Amino acid sequence: MQDENLSPQESLRLIESMINQAKNRFSEDGHLYLLWGWAVLVCSTAQFVLLHFFHSQYHYYVWMITWIILIYQVLYLRKKYRKERVRTYASNIIGFVWLTFLIMIFLLSFLIGNIAGADYYRHISPIMLATYGMPVFLSGVILRFPPLILGGIGCWVLSTIAPVLEYDYQMLMTPVAMLIAWIIPGYLLRKKYKNQIA
Amino acid sequence: MFLVFKDLDPILHSQLRLAVMSLLMSVREAEFTFLKEKTNATAGNLSVQIQKLKDAGYIDVIKQFKENYPQTICKVTPSGIKAFDQYVRNLQAYLTK
Repeated sequence: MQDENLSPQESLRLIESMINQAKNRFSEDGHLYLLWGWAVLVCSTAQFVLLHFFHSQYHYYVWMITWIILIYQVLYLRKKYRKERVRTYASNIIGFVWLTFLIMIFLLSFLIGNIAGADYYRHISPIMLATYGMPVFLSGVILRFPPLILGGIGCWVLSTIAPVLEYDYQMLMTPVAMLIAWIIPGYLLRKKYKNQIA
Repeated sequence: MFLVFKDLDPILHSQLRLAVMSLLMSVREAEFTFLKEKTNATAGNLSVQIQKLKDAGYIDVIKQFKENYPQTICKVTPSGIKAFDQYVRNLQAYLTK
C-alpha cells in the first residue's frame, strides 16, 4: 500500500474495505461449545440413567467430570489468548456474557436451595435451562449467527416444558438443550470457521 | 477541493495511516503482523506510519514479548476515535456538497 494522498471518495472506499476485512474475520471455531455441549449431554444423560434405571443415590456425582473440563478450558483459553493476533470487541463482550452466566449459575444454585426449601431439586432444571438460554442467545446476536439465537430460544422453550414433567424426565431436557444450543451450533460454527480458513 | 484538504486531518488523510486507523476502529486491539497482512504494507513503512499515529496520540503501541519473540500491539485511543469520527464526518460533508 502506497502512502499517498487520496480523494475523499477513495478515502471512504478505503475505510469501508478495511472495516469489512476486519469484520469478516470470524474467530469462533466452536471448540468450547462442542466440548461443553458433549460433556453436559453425557453427564445429564448418565445422571438420568443412574437415577431412573438404577435408583442410585449418588447420581449427581457424574457432574464431577465438569471440573476436569473447567481446568482444560482455562488452559485452552490461556493458549488461545497468547496465539491471537487480533482481539475484537465482540469476543471481549462474549467473554463477559459467559462470565455473567457462570456467576448467575453459582448464585442461582445457592439461592434455589434457600428460596424453594426441601422441594428445591424440582426447580433446578427449569431455572438452569432459562439461564442457559441467555448466553447462547446473546452470543448468537453478537456473532450474528442465527443457529445460536435459535438455540437460546430453544432453551427458553424447554424451560417452560420442564416444570410440567416428572423430576426424572426433567433431566432429559438438558441433553436436548445441549443438542440445540451448543452441539449443533458448535458444529456449524466449526464449519463456518474452516470455510473461512480454506 | 481546497476546502476539503484544509478540513481533513492530515494525519489521517494518508492511505496507509487511514487503513491502519480503519482496521483498529473495527477491533479492540491488533498485532503489528495483522496490520501488515491486511494493509499489504512493508514492515518499514508501516512502522513509520504507526509511529506518526502514536505521536499524534491516536493510537497506543504496546511492545512486549510473547514466547521469547517481540510483539507489537496497537489499539486506538479515545482521541483517535474522536479524530477518526471527525474525519469521516468531514468526508461526508464534502461528498454531500
